[in-house]
Amino acid sequence: MKRMLALGAVVWLVAALPCARAQVHVSKGAGQKSSISLAGFVSGSSAAATAFRRTLESDLQRSGWFAVVPGSAEFAIQGSCEDSGASLNVACRVFETATADRYLSKSYRAESAGARRLAHQVSDEIVYALTGRKGFASARLVVVGRKTGHKELYLCDSDGQGLVQLTRDNSISLAPKWSPDGRLLVYTSYLKRYPDVYAVEVGSGSRRRLFSFPGLNTCAEIAPNGRDVAVVLSKDGSPELYAGSLSGGSPVRITRTPRAAEASPSWSPDGGQIVYVSDQSGTPQLYITTRDGAAPRRLTSRGSENVAPDWGSGGLIAFTTRVGGRYQVCVVNPTTLELRQITADDADYEDPSWAPDGRHIACGRTRQHRSSIYLLDTMGDPPLALLDIPGDWFSPAWSSK
Amino acid sequence: MHSRRWVAVVMVGLVCAVAFTGCKRKPRKGAMLGDNVGGVTGTDVYGEGLADRFGEGRSEVAGQFTPVYFDYDSAQINESERGKLDQVADYLRRNAAGGMVVEGHCDERGSNEYNLGLGERRALAIRSYLVQSGVDAARLQTKSFGEERPVAAGHDEGSWSQNRRGEFVLVQ
Repeated sequence: MKRMLALGAVVWLVAALPCARAQVHVSKGAGQKSSISLAGFVSGSSAAATAFRRTLESDLQRSGWFAVVPGSAEFAIQGSCEDSGASLNVACRVFETATADRYLSKSYRAESAGARRLAHQVSDEIVYALTGRKGFASARLVVVGRKTGHKELYLCDSDGQGLVQLTRDNSISLAPKWSPDGRLLVYTSYLKRYPDVYAVEVGSGSRRRLFSFPGLNTCAEIAPNGRDVAVVLSKDGSPELYAGSLSGGSPVRITRTPRAAEASPSWSPDGGQIVYVSDQSGTPQLYITTRDGAAPRRLTSRGSENVAPDWGSGGLIAFTTRVGGRYQVCVVNPTTLELRQITADDADYEDPSWAPDGRHIACGRTRQHRSSIYLLDTMGDPPLALLDIPGDWFSPAWSSK
Repeated sequence: MHSRRWVAVVMVGLVCAVAFTGCKRKPRKGAMLGDNVGGVTGTDVYGEGLADRFGEGRSEVAGQFTPVYFDYDSAQINESERGKLDQVADYLRRNAAGGMVVEGHCDERGSNEYNLGLGERRALAIRSYLVQSGVDAARLQTKSFGEERPVAAGHDEGSWSQNRRGEFVLVQ
């Protein structure tokens, strides 16, 4: 296992190197997956048991750490999945084949209807047991969909399955973000004709309006402390960045750029800093400031547009850059300024959001005027379609970074 | 010649604005001599707080005025568009009742969230021009739609140039 951890660390360090060198190493790193097999895992033929097994397999594959193979492998998953009709009983043991070392041995029980959710949980536990890293199979995505002709919010699982419509406002719903505890979403809606910021409880669906000042109210993101909210308001005569609160009160102005617009704030993992977009230089670029607005520092220097930053739990910032007339996703280390472009094909990739594993990124992808949600791997696996069904899909955000 | 007439219009406008608003919203000093009037020659926008929103349930009339068009990633009001704004200002000065929502729109390219800010800056630039042409700031609201409400559905400059616009909605 130590070997595996060390490999992970090496791959990650290499992947964090800038530009051309990284690309070569990354493709090598991506090829160095550990093989894992479910050959010794017995599951019934019921719909729930089949769903469990299929979901577990595809989750392990999507985690990026494993190649799921049919025969013998470095790691073996043994056990069973039995469907009693009402409930699923799962026993799961994970061994390293060569040493017979056991990394996980656990039993689970869930309603048969929750087979897929249980598989997501088991996958994350296997990933954690073997790599020491958090998985993202149990995380959920909020996305904006235009299936009905109006932009509404939808929720889906980490594999793009289980899509449900959250808002039915026949208005325009935009820019959704989760609270750190995953119970709340903040987003922008024209429900009362002007762009205002709302908070909705995911469980109950109850909703309240958080910011409705004259002009623009948008781009809200809740801080890691679960109380503060970074938000863009134009009430003082120009779109500026503010720090407000979920519990009300007067938002505190952070930026003072009467000749420029601010957008897309994202909190650092410790909540001490905010990365955001400003066009004060003439083009939209990324800046970093503190909560009290002390000395904003320009982060991006190249390119005509650097937008939509998302500060991940691993400390890296994902964002969109315009290069060669297309939008591509990049990752930058805000301390060393090491920069890597993650996508590079003839599609537009926008609005990146870090998955909780700190390795993958969900984003919107538009090609030939069709928009869908894709999963990117910063360690070099090719982009993967998560939500590519009729209708256009935008602005994904992962629950818990 | 043209620019002198322009300065004169602005000066008259400023006098009117001050007279009608009772100095509640002083025009920015820097804008007085036409060096940065309402985002006309620079990227300046009116730097004071916005008036409260109109109450609900009031009737809205769109399409009475010609939209104002903008360059890519710009909130600057082009010379060619001033005449349209003068007509709007003239109407509002002669019809003292009611207010106006100035809508800012963008083309589909670029970040959705950034375009909300850009659209707002376009609306604010128009608002600033109207205020400095003598319209009471309390009668004007800005509303950005970002890239959400295109009028032309194509994916080329022909459509994009029509979508980068400011629109006017009269509120009674």
